[in-house]
Amino acid sequence: MASITLNHVAKHFGNKVAIADVDLKVEDGEFLVLLGPSGCGKSTLLRMLAGLETVTSGEIHLGGRRVDRLPPSARDMAFVFQSYALYPHMTVRRNIAFPLIMRQFKWWFHIPFLGGLAKRKIERSPAVRDLVEKTAKTLSLTEMLDRYPRTLSGGQRQRVALGRAMVRQPEVFLMDEPLSNLDAKLRSAMRAEITRLHQRVGGTFVYVTHDQVEAMTMGTRIALMRDGVIQQFGTPREIYTSPANTYVARFIGTPPMNLIEGRIDNGAICIGKARLPLPPALADVAGDNVLLGIRPNALSLSDASASGGLAGTVSLVEHVGAESVVAVKLSDGATAHDEEGAVPGEIMATVQGYSDLQPGAAVSVGLDLSEVVLFSRSTGQRI
Amino acid sequence: MKTPASHALRMALIMVLLSAALFPIYWMVVTSLTSSANLFADRPQMLPDPAQAFNYAETFAKTGVLLWLRNSAIVAVGTMVLSILLAILPAYALSRFRFHGKGVLGFVLFATQMLPEAMLVVPLYAIFAKLLLLDTLGGLILANAAFTVPVITWILKGAIDGVPLEIEEAARIDGCSRLDIVLGIVLPVVAPTLAAASVIAFFHGWNEYVFAQTLILSQELRTASVGLASFVGELSTPIHTVMAIGVMYTLPAVAFYLMVQRYVVAGMTAGSVKG
Repeated sequence: MASITLNHVAKHFGNKVAIADVDLKVEDGEFLVLLGPSGCGKSTLLRMLAGLETVTSGEIHLGGRRVDRLPPSARDMAFVFQSYALYPHMTVRRNIAFPLIMRQFKWWFHIPFLGGLAKRKIERSPAVRDLVEKTAKTLSLTEMLDRYPRTLSGGQRQRVALGRAMVRQPEVFLMDEPLSNLDAKLRSAMRAEITRLHQRVGGTFVYVTHDQVEAMTMGTRIALMRDGVIQQFGTPREIYTSPANTYVARFIGTPPMNLIEGRIDNGAICIGKARLPLPPALADVAGDNVLLGIRPNALSLSDASASGGLAGTVSLVEHVGAESVVAVKLSDGATAHDEEGAVPGEIMATVQGYSDLQPGAAVSVGLDLSEVVLFSRSTGQRI
Repeated sequence: MKTPASHALRMALIMVLLSAALFPIYWMVVTSLTSSANLFADRPQMLPDPAQAFNYAETFAKTGVLLWLRNSAIVAVGTMVLSILLAILPAYALSRFRFHGKGVLGFVLFATQMLPEAMLVVPLYAIFAKLLLLDTLGGLILANAAFTVPVITWILKGAIDGVPLEIEEAARIDGCSRLDIVLGIVLPVVAPTLAAASVIAFFHGWNEYVFAQTLILSQELRTASVGLASFVGELSTPIHTVMAIGVMYTLPAVAFYLMVQRYVVAGMTAGSVKG
């Protein structure tokens, strides 16, 4: 197993910059998740690692070996595709054994009949057969070994794709949104299965997804990307609790972090006419106009007559089982939520259990200031 | 909704169309088994007369039909094999690679189909005479392949376009070279189209007449299409002999089609990638 190092890696498609200048070090045995919206360059970066895309500039090292000029097969990396990419004319057994057959491939295997016999001989050799059957057993595919991909369900096909990757025992597993074609229940089961696979085989995993739940639950570290640039690289906890900028703050979390416009004034933060004391950790923060970032679960809702909070009116209540999500329109405060559909001045709070609040109710929003992070209003960067 | 009446109407329509398609073949068989005396009778004989089967034996004995059929088979199989071999790589290149002149090349391939065989036969004759390809079955195969390769290239290109790129990328990661991918992954996936293309090339070679008539000079290298036409005389045509040869000329082609048609099945790529 090996670590992966990217030094100033860039990719241009004509004038379009897909990957700007990525520096990244993935430790041996790590589960790195490349997270970001569609078109952010995460799949391109993964394909560059695999050798399916050339590198415009920069270097990729696997362990101590430079690999960015090697063909895909010489990099010792396995790739699991979003669309499974199984060979339709081969049985599950042959699909899984295929990388092993290719290791012993000779030019004359192309000769009809003779080549078929040679491939079958390799497939039935004890070493290959045992490895294929052991892999199939691990993935509960034993019963399906002699079936064709078209007869399998989506989850089974994805397991075959995983098997084809595992059987090579590669140094690195690369996965490009492998679960996005599955339904929610199966996705959750496969998520656990891939995490167990990582724990069992212990290789270095690089996993691309746009699903923050997958990223938060599976990754040991996350690289959150936007427009070909890594916005933050850290553990899921770091990314959740200490977002590097407002983009990361709004991308991670459901509902996302609230960003309320404020002003620092003499050790306190002013939101509209309300004045809240800054916690000791933020007491020496310099700057004037800031954005106050606070997660919905760090807000509390109480009666409008309560003091020390921000006044607002409930605009929407959503019950999602164990908790309720309440949207509150602040009476005297502005927000910096620039996504499509975001209502100016509206913040989200989560309340444990079933909330009896009704739209139109006047509330006071209390803030747990120990959970607050501050961002520069001009640059969006964390202060 | 299906009612018995609409079902009956549909079946009747199918029967009419089938009759129109199959009656000439039936008529060919009946005529080949009709005595000379009955050939021009006022009331045509509608059923084959098994007693006239000796007509086939006589045809075998008195004509070179077996030799012609052998030559036709060599030309048809040769045209098929050569066309497929020559079309695979250009089809793959047209489908997968980006290069200067790709559009022009595609158009030129297509444009070859706009030229009728009869127009090309004179220049081809001159070229073949210089290359010593006149009066050889190899030369005839080459001339036929020149017509089928562009068509097959386009047909295969269309099929390769439909092969998901991810399958090829998976193969690259698994250790396949480009040639391994073409031969080991792409061709098996497009096997139904390959079978259809083989049928087209085979029947072109089997049925072709203009080149076979012009480029082949010796009697022993005649193909069945030319041999059959040689019976049509100015003064007389032995209809039942011509029909007997017609039946013999048709049967191998039908057998070939029946052999290949089971490969022309849809849905080979189903399940390889998420649809």
